[in-house]
Amino acid sequence: MAKKLAVQPSLHKVIMVGSGGVGKSALTLQFMYDEFVEDYEPTKADSYRKKILLDGEDVQIDILDTAGQEDYAAIRDNYFRSGEGFLCIFSITEDESFQATQEFREQILRVKNDENIPFLLVGNKCDLEDKRKVSLQEANDRAKQWGVPYVETSAKTREHVDKVFYDLMREIRARKMDENKTNNGRGKDKSKKKKHCCLFMCC
Amino acid sequence: MLFVVSKVYKMEFSKEPNFDMLTAKDFTPEKYVKKLSQNYVGGSELQNLRRKIKSLSEETSSNLKKNVYENYVQFIETAKEISHLESEMYQLSYLLSEQKSLLSALSTTSILEDMQPINIDRDNKLNEKDFEEENKQKLAAILEKVEGCKELLEVPGRTFLYEGDLLEIDPTENTSLKTVHVYLFTDGFMITNRNSNSRGLMKYVYEIMYDLSSLAVVNVRDLGNVKHAFKLLIFPDTRVFQCSSNSNKKEWLDKFDQAKKTRLAQEQQKRESITEKSPSRSASIESPTYNPFEEDMGTIHPEWFLDIPEELDVCVAQRHFEEALSLLQKAKDYINQTASSSEKHDHVLIDIQRKVEQRQNSLTEVLMKELEVNPDKSLQGGLRAARRAVRLLNQLGRETQSCNLFLKLCSSMLRTQCKRVKREGSTTTYIRHLSSVVFTNMCHMSDEFLRAFPDSPACASAYVVWASNELLQFTTHLIKQVFMPQTSLATITECIILVRTQCERLYGYGIDLCYQLDGALRSSLMKALRDARDKLIDSIKLRALDDKWIPMNLHSKSSLGRCIQEHAQMGLNLESYVSGDTWLQLTASTLSFTKMFLSLLNDCMKLKTTELMYTIDETLYNVFEAQIRHNENALRTELNQEQRTFLTKNAEFLLVNLIEVAQKKYKENVGYECQTLQKLRKEYVALQKGVSPTSRSTKTKYSSEFI
Repeated sequence: MAKKLAVQPSLHKVIMVGSGGVGKSALTLQFMYDEFVEDYEPTKADSYRKKILLDGEDVQIDILDTAGQEDYAAIRDNYFRSGEGFLCIFSITEDESFQATQEFREQILRVKNDENIPFLLVGNKCDLEDKRKVSLQEANDRAKQWGVPYVETSAKTREHVDKVFYDLMREIRARKMDENKTNNGRGKDKSKKKKHCCLFMCC
Repeated sequence: MLFVVSKVYKMEFSKEPNFDMLTAKDFTPEKYVKKLSQNYVGGSELQNLRRKIKSLSEETSSNLKKNVYENYVQFIETAKEISHLESEMYQLSYLLSEQKSLLSALSTTSILEDMQPINIDRDNKLNEKDFEEENKQKLAAILEKVEGCKELLEVPGRTFLYEGDLLEIDPTENTSLKTVHVYLFTDGFMITNRNSNSRGLMKYVYEIMYDLSSLAVVNVRDLGNVKHAFKLLIFPDTRVFQCSSNSNKKEWLDKFDQAKKTRLAQEQQKRESITEKSPSRSASIESPTYNPFEEDMGTIHPEWFLDIPEELDVCVAQRHFEEALSLLQKAKDYINQTASSSEKHDHVLIDIQRKVEQRQNSLTEVLMKELEVNPDKSLQGGLRAARRAVRLLNQLGRETQSCNLFLKLCSSMLRTQCKRVKREGSTTTYIRHLSSVVFTNMCHMSDEFLRAFPDSPACASAYVVWASNELLQFTTHLIKQVFMPQTSLATITECIILVRTQCERLYGYGIDLCYQLDGALRSSLMKALRDARDKLIDSIKLRALDDKWIPMNLHSKSSLGRCIQEHAQMGLNLESYVSGDTWLQLTASTLSFTKMFLSLLNDCMKLKTTELMYTIDETLYNVFEAQIRHNENALRTELNQEQRTFLTKNAEFLLVNLIEVAQKKYKENVGYECQTLQKLRKEYVALQKGVSPTSRSTKTKYSSEFI
């Protein structure tokens, strides 16, 4: 891994999560190709890769645009496991999508088993201020409770689109550097748990 | 002699002896010797020749030896070779038989698979049978082409969907790795590599099979210069594959989608067929507000809950049944609570619930084993040892089973206890001991039973049935032991009374088995009474034969006094019959009958039950009548006035005094006077006046009316 890192620009894996129709693909496409796609077509699971300059450093971003609807829990787990950072999107014009973020958050924490996973709460469609259903206060409160940043974006006007991706990548990068310094605690945790299980088996 | 002959023929021999000559076909030793003796003359020459022949023979024999040795070595080598070949043949035949069994196993698997229901989505395209056949052939073809995928056929219902060549790409460096040949089935995705040393049909080597339900397929829209690619996420692997064209990629993604949908439909169907609560999943696919996480909400269970099946195993293995039970209860409560609070389908919950149910069943089994009657198991602990298992089983809601087992245990214990009672001494002693053992145990068991199953009507009725069965067994045994021809009525009575009093002990537990006991004993008792009657009548007849009709001489005042006292105790006043110092104006026969009749009456009164009254009355009547008849007959033949008066006095004593006493006793026990005795008194009233009834012959015998 280390050898590869030296040759290739480092790769940050970002995952877009959120209910159907909140604009995950629209945000991704805006970020990737600077274009806004008006027609809605449900995504299954798309991945994108782009070389960008992050604070003067060449990096690659790998975006996994997930389906709002996936039938197998195990498959969803596999999506989430592959991610290093998450953009949890909801539409400020739809309260249900905001409520759903709670469950996405819990699922991600369960799969990653990590409270401090790079994570951004994103309220999309902020250009549709007149149709707002989720107040800024509400969203800020939830983000505060989770200890994550909250950003409002518009895929249509490209407002804050780059910001959310770059912010997330900075968090991922910072976290990777942390992990390189101190050994990953999670692995230890896991082995401990396994040992515990084994003990059970023995008796 | 030979020497002389050879000398003679020496001259004619010119040739040197050699092998060719000696081994020639027409060689004969006689001729040769003749020739030699003709040719050679002189001892030295012959000697020379002889030496030569000798050396020849020596050479030959050494050659022979050498040859034999060589042949022997070759023989050993050949034998070795043969045994080697033999083992090789064995190996071959073993391999062949293995191959054969493998083939037959394969053929049965494919036959089984024929019966499996298949992919419903494609039914509209092909009729089911054709499709099944096609699928089977396709799978067989894959089996032939791909090395090491024997388990391909082991999954029932697996259907082939799509195959093709793809180029695998390194997920981080975007460089191509290798060409793979992949197969998509309804339940999985199989990757195979080109077989480098392929000879013949096996073109590919099996690499891996991914389960479709955990395979995340990602459409790679943009990966630099890599086009037409898709990605598979299988934690912790990520694999990228490049298709030949965009349409090819689209085809692949569509097929994956189709496979997943088919799988879902199948699973749903399966779930419905098990009539489990259908998950909300299928409904949510259509609804736009479907939240993919809903069903996973319940999966965050406390750790103790997830470990419960193992914990239960441990507890059962260590025989900590109480602990196991409380764990079970805890788990059930949790399941109920979770199930009611969220209507979602939770796989973990259901899985654990099923496991917990299994553990519960095994716990029940273990407990039932505890209670089972086993000849090897000691019953030392008695019922108290069973308490724990019974209590736990009751708590598990298995009252019926535990009740059954408990009662079986009781039966076997009772039997063991009864076997220990030895038949020693008199019947009465034995019966006393036995009935005491039986009923004490039954009392004890009732006690234990009431403690174990306090409020269960079903168990109570089972207990009553059990008790009645046990009693039946006991009475059968009792009848065999007690009702024998040589047993006297008095002994029988004593035994029966003993058993009855024992049986009454069960009243305290609310079980009245006396009626059943009487019922079971009735016919035997009736027979016993009739036997006693016949015996008494016989003895009366015997006594009548040597009745001299003279007053009884008791020889001494004291014995007279004793006699009077004895009868006074029975309620009979004999004072008026005393004459002289030692004489009683009654016959010995009358007095012994009195004694006998009263003891019979006594026994009868002890045995009396409503059902037996008729037999008792009849017995009393018949016995009494036999004695009276004897009196009557004597009266008829006696002409002496003085004797007649004496006879009448005896008859009067029997008909008045004895019947009075008997009636009194009868009334005391039964509540009314004995009608048959009354009738008897009336019939023979004339006898008291010394008149022998003339109508005697016309009067029908009493007993015949009854019988």
